[in-house]
Amino acid sequence: MTKYDVIVIGSGPGGEVGAIRAAQLGLKTALIEKEPHLGGTCLNWGCIPTKALLESAKTWVKLQHANDLGFETGKVSFDWKRIMDRKQGIVDVQRKGLRFLMKKNKIDSFEGHGRIAGKNKITVTDKDGKVTTLDTKFVLLATGSRIRELPFAKSNGKAIINSDDILSLTTVPKSLCVVGGGVVGTEFASLYGRFGSEVTIVELAPQILPSEDADTVKDLVRYLKKQNITIETATKLTKVEDKGDHALVTTEGKEPRKFEKVLISVGRAPVTEDIGLSIVSIKTNPGGFIPVDEHYKTSTDWVYAIGDIIPTPMLAHTASAEAIHAVEIMAGHHAPVINYDNNPNAIYTYPEIASVGKTEDALKKAGIEYKVAQFPFAPMARSKIDDTTEGFVKIIYAPKYRELLGVHIVGAKATEMIAEFALGKVLETTIDEIAHTIHPHPTISETIMEAAHVAVGGAIHM
Amino acid sequence: MSEQIEILMPSMGEGINEATLVKWLKKKGDQIKKDEPLLEVSTDKVDTEIPSPAAGFLLELLATEGDTIPVNATIAWVGGDKNTVVSASAAKPAASSAGHAAKDKPAVATTTQVAQAGNKASPSEKTATQAQVQPRSTSVVNSGPIKSSPLVRKIAESNSVDLAYVSGTGIQGRITKPDIEAFLKQGVAPLSHFAQPAAFSGPAHLEHGRLETKKTDQLETLEGVPVRREKMSKMRSLIADHMIRSVRTSPHVTTIFEIDLHRVVQAREKHRAAFQEKEGFNLSFTPFFVWAAVQAIKDHPVVNVSVDGDDILWKDDINMGVAVALEKGLIVPVIKKAGELNFVGIARRMNDLVVRSRSKKLTPDDVQGGTFSITNPGMFGSIVSSPIINQPQVAIMSIGAIIKRPVVIDDMIAVRPLVQIGLTFDHRVVDGEGGARFLSTLKERLESFDEPTY
Repeated sequence: MTKYDVIVIGSGPGGEVGAIRAAQLGLKTALIEKEPHLGGTCLNWGCIPTKALLESAKTWVKLQHANDLGFETGKVSFDWKRIMDRKQGIVDVQRKGLRFLMKKNKIDSFEGHGRIAGKNKITVTDKDGKVTTLDTKFVLLATGSRIRELPFAKSNGKAIINSDDILSLTTVPKSLCVVGGGVVGTEFASLYGRFGSEVTIVELAPQILPSEDADTVKDLVRYLKKQNITIETATKLTKVEDKGDHALVTTEGKEPRKFEKVLISVGRAPVTEDIGLSIVSIKTNPGGFIPVDEHYKTSTDWVYAIGDIIPTPMLAHTASAEAIHAVEIMAGHHAPVINYDNNPNAIYTYPEIASVGKTEDALKKAGIEYKVAQFPFAPMARSKIDDTTEGFVKIIYAPKYRELLGVHIVGAKATEMIAEFALGKVLETTIDEIAHTIHPHPTISETIMEAAHVAVGGAIHM
Repeated sequence: MSEQIEILMPSMGEGINEATLVKWLKKKGDQIKKDEPLLEVSTDKVDTEIPSPAAGFLLELLATEGDTIPVNATIAWVGGDKNTVVSASAAKPAASSAGHAAKDKPAVATTTQVAQAGNKASPSEKTATQAQVQPRSTSVVNSGPIKSSPLVRKIAESNSVDLAYVSGTGIQGRITKPDIEAFLKQGVAPLSHFAQPAAFSGPAHLEHGRLETKKTDQLETLEGVPVRREKMSKMRSLIADHMIRSVRTSPHVTTIFEIDLHRVVQAREKHRAAFQEKEGFNLSFTPFFVWAAVQAIKDHPVVNVSVDGDDILWKDDINMGVAVALEKGLIVPVIKKAGELNFVGIARRMNDLVVRSRSKKLTPDDVQGGTFSITNPGMFGSIVSSPIINQPQVAIMSIGAIIKRPVVIDDMIAVRPLVQIGLTFDHRVVDGEGGARFLSTLKERLESFDEPTY
């Protein structure tokens, strides 16, 4: 039997990236995936398919405004099936790409359920129940997360659906209630709202996207309202009933309301059961997450864990970074510890929200002194050219050394723009260097420079 | 174990005989680890935290914040047991010899109370071990380009930290904010290499003139002109202090001679290649000037003295400080006992000091004890300059640019490499005649330069 250096369980953006990096570092690597396709939640039910659909929504809105750009289009319409097919086509191609990458890097792929079976032993149980035992020096647990259900409103794939189900709807529902205004719920609201659903977001917290800065969320909400979306924050859901062709949703203090579909999007839970943790005496915390050290090593020397199963942000890019770090450590390399304050967030609504670092609220609560420099997209020529004048760049910085504390962008290309600040944070850039960086004209990235100028001594185009 | 360890004020470098206690970082009775910062001290060259040389409990702190304490005086006692009693004879105040006796120390009474609280050990039976506190190593950690960040550089500048001493844990060894924060916490500010060699006693606090600016939310203006405020680096601040003190101390007078360097140029050209081969470095003009100045000082030692009130302090050694420009500021390494070196010896020492200045590898000793200084703004094109005396010296020689000029020799016009060399001296002890005589000797030595002596 081959002895592996590292076996990765789970092929999402954590496991897949970790496996490739491990192989690049010369480690004999195997990857175990229980699904027939590689890629995990991100590729199959998350980031990729949703962004493909959101791109169609963006195009749909743009087509409806084609007149403004000088086009005579007549009545435009969409074919939902083709939109769904395109999404699936992208997913399929990416899945194949992953297979190719595994082969290219000489990573052995096993289909089945991976479990820790003893010291340095991993078993794979395939769908027929056949068990293969593998020896390994290290294991990287990257088993990801599953949809969290509401006990009193479990999704059933019919009138009550979850974020997997919603990716295969054959029609756009006339009305949609989104339970939970987190990233997933708000993105789907923005998607279906633009395709014509009457959407209501029901959120328990006082703001949707509770972890984002209040200012960017407030601005986004203005635009969401123009996308057939009603937002009910600080609202408690009490009952959801499937009535066959519709569902009845009751919120506290209100009469039941009819929706064609109800999307339950109340977060995700780590997949840490049934992977053999008890065999090596690894205990999860009350949320089911696996405690790890700064190099993602668990309480057991040869077991590492990354991604959605550890108590760090549940984001694809975060999992990838953690996986690379973990396998570099396994390979005996030096790897700088990940600073989560530099970890960007991206929300693909329209307009998008992207952020890195601390929110104003968090700084206020922590009693950290800060200043804000903000600049809107509206005055920028490029924003007018692109017809995307929504939003602004908000930079929060420390007055003493003008260190970047947090950056919050709401705007059409916010998720692309935030990378400049992620790099800036990693390099410990102060707002002065941002202001003195020449940004190409005309681009919307100039807005970043303008916001920095606000701090340095006055914006130019205001 | 109730061993007592005596903590002494460490030596911060040659020529520093005392340091001011800025702050105790631990209280009496606190537990302290070995190498954990114990106190902050300030000298005119170095501000630093002093780590404890031993682990244990702080039994006694024998000096008060603000006291100036001589080197090797006892400043504290550390013991293995919290209840250890410091022997009465050991618990004497530290700063008595400096005339700044620790004022607040009812030391004996306090220890008695501790003893009553339960510890019966007799003080006389205890072994008192002396431990010399060492300032944290000033050896260079980083050489070559230092990877840091804009934020780190700002923090370093405002805290006067030389990043060469900070180790980086970031990507590719980059110094990150946590690194410099840890460094600052640990308490090392070895800017000593940049310190001026003057030996003022006591901390050099000078009231720099303050300006009245107007401040709005984002803008600060001075007489209507927008300004950007930037904290001086420690080195800049030190230079500023020393310059003000010098101008206030010494009535400066400058005299200038024009010197024909054609023999020096010839000698340098003739020996340059051989010199490079034999010595491994390029023979610059500076050693010629240093050598000639040393010869002139031997003839006119009045430029190599210090003034102490009504007294003149004549010096046996000629320790030649030579200003070296750094990226930001300058440093004046000293060629010690230059009077005992021949030309090549001076050139070697000069080269060594310049190389180590630029690579930040000077030791505090390298910049101390100068008795005379030379500055060479001619390197940057200056023809004549009037430098400020490096206190407590009384003279500084400035070298202008070497320029070929037409000169009249024996009623004929010749082209000669000329240099303007100035001597700025302290008119309290050196008169115009003395300055001129010094330069006259210097001129004679340079114009008659024969062969470099090996």
